[in-house]
Amino acid sequence: MTSNTESVDEIANSFSSESEKLQNIINETQKKSSELSIPEIIANYFQIMNVNSHITLLKKHMDTFDSPDSKLTEKIKEAETLISDKFNKKLHPFIMSQLTKSIEESMEILQSSQSQQKSKEEIENEAKLYAALREKMSTKEFVEQYDKGLVHD
Amino acid sequence: MIESLAKNLVELKREFAKTYSGTSHIQEVIPSSQSELFPVNAEHLKLLHLFASANPIYYNSYEEKIGKTVCIVYEGDINKFWLNSIQHGSSHAPFSPTWIFSAYVATLLAQEIGVKEAIDIGSGDGRIAYCAKILGLNSYSIEIDNLLVDLQKTISTSTKMDFKPNCYDATKFDYSKLKLENPVFFIGGLAQMGGDILANSIIDTINSISGLGNISMVFAGTYSKKYCPDEQSLAGWGQIIQKNKMDVIKTIYLPTVWTFREPDETPYLFAKLNSS
Repeated sequence: MTSNTESVDEIANSFSSESEKLQNIINETQKKSSELSIPEIIANYFQIMNVNSHITLLKKHMDTFDSPDSKLTEKIKEAETLISDKFNKKLHPFIMSQLTKSIEESMEILQSSQSQQKSKEEIENEAKLYAALREKMSTKEFVEQYDKGLVHD
Repeated sequence: MIESLAKNLVELKREFAKTYSGTSHIQEVIPSSQSELFPVNAEHLKLLHLFASANPIYYNSYEEKIGKTVCIVYEGDINKFWLNSIQHGSSHAPFSPTWIFSAYVATLLAQEIGVKEAIDIGSGDGRIAYCAKILGLNSYSIEIDNLLVDLQKTISTSTKMDFKPNCYDATKFDYSKLKLENPVFFIGGLAQMGGDILANSIIDTINSISGLGNISMVFAGTYSKKYCPDEQSLAGWGQIIQKNKMDVIKTIYLPTVWTFREPDETPYLFAKLNSS
């Protein structure tokens, strides 16, 4: 066996396990009835990017072979379909709209409480809501960047 | 004296950042009284405390000895101004102030280089314009955010220090009506956060006014690795300074709200604008 084949095997093994993780994350996310937390949203996008990098790397290696491994080609297709059909077309738009709605709601709540006289504790507790809003906004920025990278029909 | 004041303030901030255990959104300190480390005019110091106590962004204060200096710690919150600025999207950068004592040190330096007027662009709560007023300079404050200008007016009224708050887009302001002689323009906001666009526009406008004497500009910069490195090592202002053939005459490092948890302070670049 050549060292090139060994390295492709290693990437293929890692790809297989990362694709499985992605499948599980997507399944768990689809099952959730409540609002997704920021770490849950990030976990989805992180795993999507992880699997996508594996696919890019594997395709690059496979281009150099005369007869690519048909099983691996099939697995790559499966992962691409999972990302495209389950994530890009369903979960990603859902996450975008959940973030937009949640940001709007937080802004409304914070704005409505602005005129009230507050104690030190109340101000500092409210600062936590502002910090959470900032977190949602930067996550949305990241999600929007991902969206820009998608080819929309 | 000004350099050592800046250096001592940086030391004080670093000590304070190490020991501060509160949870406020923003916090800063002002020495309680004159001392060997802070040999400033006692009346000025009183007025700096007056600015903080008249400013509704601060909701709590207490005395604390930090290193060798007895200080008043001011705790505040500027979240509602941030919310307002992102909703209206009119300002180049959200409000995040320099420390009050830093504003005082920066204006002292401006006075030392011989300016007669201070124009605080993107002035936030007006602290730089206020400090310039303390020093007897003709002071003007220009801010686009109406909520912040209302805040400035409240402070101006209760401190009886008219630092002339103006609710205006600084890029469209008619500076010729101020009859400036030797002005200094303090540009609010980092170059990397839109301050460069603001500065370019101001420079173009003031270059078109005839009869202005020496014009100075003060830029707040950063060397943070979060941003693209500045090839000229001028804290983000390299392109503007080069394009407008400006001479940097002094740089001082001062604490600001946005560097409270950072190891590095904010560099303030004082530059002369050579008339074209």
